[in-house]
Amino acid sequence: MSLVMQNLGTFMVYALAAMFVQNAVFTRGFGVSRLTKLVADSAVDSMTFCALLSLINVLCAPMSYFVNQFLLQPAFWYRNYVRPLAFTVCALIAFAAVFLVIALLNLPNKKDLLAVLPLATLNCAVLGPMLITANQNYNFAQTMGFALGSGLGYAFAVIIVTEGQRKMNSRSVPAVFRGLPINLIYIGILALAIYSLTGHRVAI
Amino acid sequence: MRDDRIRYFAKNMDRLSRRDRVFLNNPVIMQGLGLAPVVIPATTLGNAFILAVGVALLLTPTRMIATFIGQRTGSFLARAVTYALTAGVVYIGVGYIIDYLFGTGALAVGIYLPLLVLEPLIIKRYESPKRERLITSFKKGVITTIGFCLVLFLMAGLRELLALGTLGGIEILRVSLLPMASMPAGGFILLGLVASLWRGLVNTFKKNISLGVKNLQ
Repeated sequence: MSLVMQNLGTFMVYALAAMFVQNAVFTRGFGVSRLTKLVADSAVDSMTFCALLSLINVLCAPMSYFVNQFLLQPAFWYRNYVRPLAFTVCALIAFAAVFLVIALLNLPNKKDLLAVLPLATLNCAVLGPMLITANQNYNFAQTMGFALGSGLGYAFAVIIVTEGQRKMNSRSVPAVFRGLPINLIYIGILALAIYSLTGHRVAI
Repeated sequence: MRDDRIRYFAKNMDRLSRRDRVFLNNPVIMQGLGLAPVVIPATTLGNAFILAVGVALLLTPTRMIATFIGQRTGSFLARAVTYALTAGVVYIGVGYIIDYLFGTGALAVGIYLPLLVLEPLIIKRYESPKRERLITSFKKGVITTIGFCLVLFLMAGLRELLALGTLGGIEILRVSLLPMASMPAGGFILLGLVASLWRGLVNTFKKNISLGVKNLQ
């Protein structure tokens, strides 16, 4: 029982850390190119995208953990070269599973979900957490917590940046700053706030 | 500017604005691609060089191979899978070459080198249904690499100078003007400022061309 509680505690701590103090966007810049497009594009529902990204992250995490533990052992000299391909395959397996579920459930917004799914899967915010958990030799509970937290952290970043859009589109913002430049400055200021919370530079 | 140059730019401005990947439609500044490598690990010119070699070896071959295979697979999903897997396979060779060239020095860019595999700069082409010829994919791959590397080196040089007072390891300033420049927050803010300046220059250039055409008439 105590082992279960201990692992649950680890899971929660890593999920919270990945969501806030090691936020995928603000501290590591994962998926920031997609984020700047997402907040400006009204055709794609941000929350649907984030929900799919979090789901893919959670599905990928156990696969990447076992691939890293058993197929890419430290004895293999080529493990660092093959790792991105192996993790991309994990992401594509998760993609196929989600694709099948969406197709079989016959949801009303099925078409929209299937259009967004590749964008949410082939994303640095999916590959990045897998590479971090593998590089830092996280155990299973840590890996799962970090994956869930990274997905939710990405959603957290999207919500904050989307909220800021209303102010950033104001006429008081000079024309040359509108769009990408003001978004980057805003994300930078938020990253500074996260830095003041952690008080250290996140290792890359 | 000479009259014939003004006429040329005025006549082809729309086409140039779409196709030029260095100044008018830079992948980083105008399209917002490849932001993570520019903002996080590009803190010195040395790091930028490693990333530039990685992008140069990965972008064009991935685009060419995926274009070649993609001519046989038409759908959006098939294109997405083709580009992602191609980038992963090409990275095996790229990773080996980077290790051979830089050894442990490549650790300075950390996971941002393997992360290039799913970076929109490398694989975004899958989103476009328009087919392209192999020679076009080669040309666009090379010009996109040049445009990306230009901003990468500009930002890395700026961040190194402001944070450390050096350029390529050579001391230029005795003081550290802005230590925050080496942090992600500083990277985002500096890139935002550079992007606004760059976009301002592009707008001025376009205005001057249209003004020049009016004066010629």
